Amino acid sequence: MESSLHGVWESAVGNPFVPTIGKDSQFTVGFSLLVLGTLLSGFFGLNRSFLNIPLVGIPASAAVA
Amino acid sequence: MRSFALASVFLSLVSTAVCADESNLTKPLSSKFLLPSAFKPPQVFKNTNLVHVVNLEKSYPKESINVVIENTASSPQDEYYLPFTTRQMETIGALEVKDRKAPESGLFEVEAAEIDPESDTQYYRIRLPKPLAPKAQQTLGITYHFLSALDPLPATIQQKENQYLVYTFSAYCPSAYVTLKQKTEVKFPTTNVREHTVIPGTGKEPQSPQIQGTKYTYGSFGEVPAGAYEPVRVRYEFTKPLIHVSRLERDIEVSHWGGNLAFEERYTMTNRAANLSSGFSRTQFAQDAYYNPQSPAIKELKFPLRVGSLTPYFTDVIGNVSTSRFRSNKREANLELKPRYPVYGGWNYPFRVGWDADLKKFLRKLTTGDGYVLNAPFLEGPKQPEGVEYELVELRVILPEGATNVKYSTTVPVVSESITMHKTFMDTIGRTTLTLTSINVVDDLRDREIIVTYDYPFMAGLRKPLVIFSGVMSLFVAAWAIGSLDVAIKARSS
Repeated sequence: MESSLHGVWESAVGNPFVPTIGKDSQFTVGFSLLVLGTLLSGFFGLNRSFLNIPLVGIPASAAVA
Repeated sequence: MRSFALASVFLSLVSTAVCADESNLTKPLSSKFLLPSAFKPPQVFKNTNLVHVVNLEKSYPKESINVVIENTASSPQDEYYLPFTTRQMETIGALEVKDRKAPESGLFEVEAAEIDPESDTQYYRIRLPKPLAPKAQQTLGITYHFLSALDPLPATIQQKENQYLVYTFSAYCPSAYVTLKQKTEVKFPTTNVREHTVIPGTGKEPQSPQIQGTKYTYGSFGEVPAGAYEPVRVRYEFTKPLIHVSRLERDIEVSHWGGNLAFEERYTMTNRAANLSSGFSRTQFAQDAYYNPQSPAIKELKFPLRVGSLTPYFTDVIGNVSTSRFRSNKREANLELKPRYPVYGGWNYPFRVGWDADLKKFLRKLTTGDGYVLNAPFLEGPKQPEGVEYELVELRVILPEGATNVKYSTTVPVVSESITMHKTFMDTIGRTTLTLTSINVVDDLRDREIIVTYDYPFMAGLRKPLVIFSGVMSLFVAAWAIGSLDVAIKARSS
């Protein structure tokens, strides 16, 4: 187990990991999604119907997640 | 009568001084053989020329042996043995061997040879990359260090007194082969060396040691048989702490969604320096800070972190320790800690530090497949002029949930490895964790890297959002289902 993986590291140069959401925009993206999810949940709470489960519930759940 | 008393006092003082001087000059020679009768490495090499350097500038002895070996057998040989005592084997660390003529060719394979566990002499087996032909020569550069090998004498001192350390080693370098010519160089931190063993000269050889400032040279000696031992004891000033970390737990946690690499280190730190002979005086401490800055107490620890490190913290059992500073700019990121109290000899200080870093400097995506490669420092402890020794380092690399096919490589000698699951917030199956244990490490190995590769499929990254999604979704379904129940008391209108 010597430095056998060092070559692997070197070969991946110029291919750094880029997160899906940048570190600086984490709060903005997360907070707006959470607000959207909360609003949609509120709307669903006022207007519960079977149709609204897929219509409002799915986007709301996705937003919260 | 009075003058007689004075004269006798004077005489006794002179005689003490003379005796002390004498004890410094002559030590009986007691050469002995260390090799056990049960096993003797095959005498296929001889050491043509050997230089043994004992470096006592730090709080642990760092030794190096540069030796020209020659194959005296009639067939090519590739196993070279290096003897140590059992006590040394317990505390030896980072034994590394390379070819002095071609240092870029990498480290040789070295392993502790378990031949006779009862014997006081144990061996390291060095495997030469290419068998050495008969009569051929090769130059080996062997480096290692010992932990907990320096002891303060006297063992208790006053708060402002100087500290002296004692170290015992052999003037003849320990070797399993005949050595034709050798010398041992000792490097001290200061010229204040109170005692040292003197080896009287023989016909050709001058008296040892020869002193040049802080460098003492024993030898050169002529032909010495295998296993010869010539004890040398030195006592020298070292008014600095002997920082000993009996256990360091270091966590490196990778977060793909957060784009973050989180470090946390938990130290169990002891100062092995001379203990205080009387109680600690805060007034004396405040005075000495101005008049006598040298002290065997740990007053400050400096962690030079990687540039770009963020949000450090420093806590102990009580909570946050506010006496820390973090200097971070484009060129450096220095974390400077002052322990809650000055850590004098025999005192302990357990604490933890942690910080974050941007993941893209440490993680790269492989061009094929779902593979990733992580490159992080194995050890990032304090960088002190007097050095730090670690008895046990437990490094945990916590990879994201669902990472598989974990491989690692590091140049730090590792004694055990395991892959386990670490469960923390919002985890369903737990995060894959690589745990590496290493013993007898010193701060010289700082900045050695650990490289970890793993596969992390895209779907594994979606596991956590999907779990939360289904949770919230089931909440909505439950709300709808419960809301549509008819729980009215009135009679049904049918």
